[in-house]
This record gives sequence, C-alpha cells and structure tokens, in this order.
Amino acid sequence: MRWSELQSNVRDALHGLFYFRYEQDLRAEAIELNDLFLLMCYMEMVGLPNPVTLYLLEVYPHLLSEFHLWHRRMGVDRSPVANIRCC
Amino acid sequence: MLLAENRKAARRLLDKRILFFGGKGGVGKTTCAAAVALAASREGQRVLLVSTDPAHSTSDIFERRFTREEREILPNLHGLEIDADFEAGRYIAEVKEQVTKMFSPAMVGAASRQIDLAAAMPGVGDVALFDRLTTIVAARNSAYDLVVFDTAPTGHTVRLLQMPEMLRTWIDALTAQRRQAVERDAITRDDGGEDEPDPIVAALERRRDRLDAVRRRLVEHRDTSFVLVLIPERLPIEETSRAAGALAEAGIEVGAVVVNRVLPDGLGGEFYAARRRQEEVYRREIDHRFKTMDRIVITQLESDVYGLNRLERISAQILG
Repeated sequence: MRWSELQSNVRDALHGLFYFRYEQDLRAEAIELNDLFLLMCYMEMVGLPNPVTLYLLEVYPHLLSEFHLWHRRMGVDRSPVANIRCC
Repeated sequence: MLLAENRKAARRLLDKRILFFGGKGGVGKTTCAAAVALAASREGQRVLLVSTDPAHSTSDIFERRFTREEREILPNLHGLEIDADFEAGRYIAEVKEQVTKMFSPAMVGAASRQIDLAAAMPGVGDVALFDRLTTIVAARNSAYDLVVFDTAPTGHTVRLLQMPEMLRTWIDALTAQRRQAVERDAITRDDGGEDEPDPIVAALERRRDRLDAVRRRLVEHRDTSFVLVLIPERLPIEETSRAAGALAEAGIEVGAVVVNRVLPDGLGGEFYAARRRQEEVYRREIDHRFKTMDRIVITQLESDVYGLNRLERISAQILG
C-alpha cells in the first residue's frame, strides 16, 4: 500500500467515524422536508385548495417519481392513490 | 364645461399603455371600454381591446365578432375575447407536449392522466385566464400603443389582479421548501451537490419571474391604470368604493372614475325631477368619495348603446 493511498483511507475512515451520524440525520431531514413539499403540492388530496396547481403541472413527472419514492418509503408497494399511477 | 373636464381626464388615460375597465355588473363597463378604445384608435393609436366577458357583449356593441385570436375590428383597432376554458385547454396541451419531450413514455402516460384530472378542477380557468392576460401585459415589444381590458364584474377582477401577489406567496413557499430538502440531500453526497439545478425549483422560479414581470407592470409602472365605471346610484357607489380600496391595497392605481348614464338636462315631469334630485345627491357623494381621482361623466342617450353610430356618440362625450 502506497503512502498516499493509506493517507486517503485513513481520511475516509475518520470521515465515516465522525460524519456518519451527521449525514444520516441530514438525509432523514432532507426526506422529511421533501415529504412536506410533496404534501404542499398535493394539497387537493387532503381537501385544501392550492392555487398554483396549474403551474405545478409542468413538473408533474418529477413529482410523480418523488411520490413513488415516498410510498415505497412508507412501506406501500403499489401507489396507494387510485389517481396517481406511478407504478 | 363637462366636456372640457372629460377631455382632460380622457387625455391622461390615453397616455397610458394599459387600461383596465371594471365596475359593478350592468353599469356599462363594456360600453365605456369600447368607447375609449374607439376614441384612441380614431386618434391614430394602435389599440387592442380585450374582453374577458363570456357574454360576448363587446361583439354585440361593435356588431363584429371578437374571437379567441386577435383580429382587426376597425382600422387601428384590434379585438380579442379571452375564453377561460379554451385557454385552460391550450395550457394543458402545451404542458403535455413539454412532458412528452422530456420524459419516458411510461411516465408520460401516468402524468397525462394526472394532468387531465387537474385540468378539470375549479379555478383552473381563472389561472389560465390570468396566464393569457400575463402574456399580453408582460409582452416586451407590444404591437399596440394601448391595450384596453374590459373585465368581468368588480370582485372577480380585483381577485384576478391580486393573483400575482397570492401566487407569488405560494411559489415562494414551495420553492423554499423544495430547496431546503435538495440542499440537505446535496450535502450528504460525495460530490458536495455539484449537480445540475433541481428541475422543480427551476420551473417554479421561471413562473415566479413571469409573475414578477406582471406585478411590476401592474403596480410599479405609471403607464398602467384602472378605470372604475359606476352609475349615480347607491349600490354601485358602495361597490366601487370597496373596489377602489382593494385596488389601492394591491398597489394598483385608479386613473379615473367614469360616472355613466347621467340624466340629460332639460326634461320635464315629476318622475324626472325626482330622479334628478336623487341623482344630484349621489353625484355630490361620488365627487366627495372619489375626489382624488379624475372623473369622466357620460350622459344617457335616448336609446341603448350598440352599433358603431351610438358608440361614437359616447366616444364624443369622452373626448369631444
């Protein structure tokens, strides 16, 4: 093993040791924030009007894939909403 | 004397680039908007008269069909009738086309269904109408010197003009939320989030920029003005006064108040005298309540207004 390789491995190990928890928290937070974002986009489904619905249509395919990730994360295999057929 | 005052106020209006006509239903908004548009076109300005009224009254006045696409009605005067349902359909078709270009067929199928469902929701017509309005208002090199909007009754119009504000609040909230999530996610990636920009944030920001352009046009520019039409009666006075308040709150300038259908001088009879006395009270009240705005006074004709000849007589009262 070359010295530079060893150096890099040690750096990665230390990074993992110190940042693992931190990154996990960040990822969890990102997911939570994005879920809230999704809820804001799909507010009609919970009975609240959303005036920008028409403007969100252009990004609907993106929202669909996000929605797909969400219901998988929630442990539901197929889309739980009849209107939204992401899979 | 009346004519001189009218002319002075009308001059100021014709110097603007965009005029919105609003007022309570049935007070003669369409007639006044048409008369002002006609007067401006006769002076050699290139004018676009836009109707958002599904009742086709503008077509009836000019006895020429106003269509969903701009067309020449008279020399220098183009007409357009915005149809909210048609605009919604057009917007949906555009979105679908865009989606088809950007995504896989499976995704397009799923998204298409969702888009059709969303298109059937109430309120979509309003947003589409506003979108079309936006295109006209924010046009950079307009082919017209003056665009006159004949809008639906007051409440609806004021709501429409408050839309940039409301939509902007929503878009800002969505963007902030999405951006936070994307940023958190990016930190945890090895490349530190040197990705291409998030497409959702990009789309929302494009929208926001367009709304800002409209808002600047409506609020900051001195060349956009709102004209409120009323008749000297209790209910229109109250409603117009509320509309003026709401517009002021939204930062939109009210350029003039048109007092329409004023009784002509020199008629006899008890009924006329009584009406006239009451009208004088209301006219004084209008002068008092709208004293910061220009006033244009239009006297009733002996017949209703349709057809170019009679419209010209209204135009003549405004601009001489």
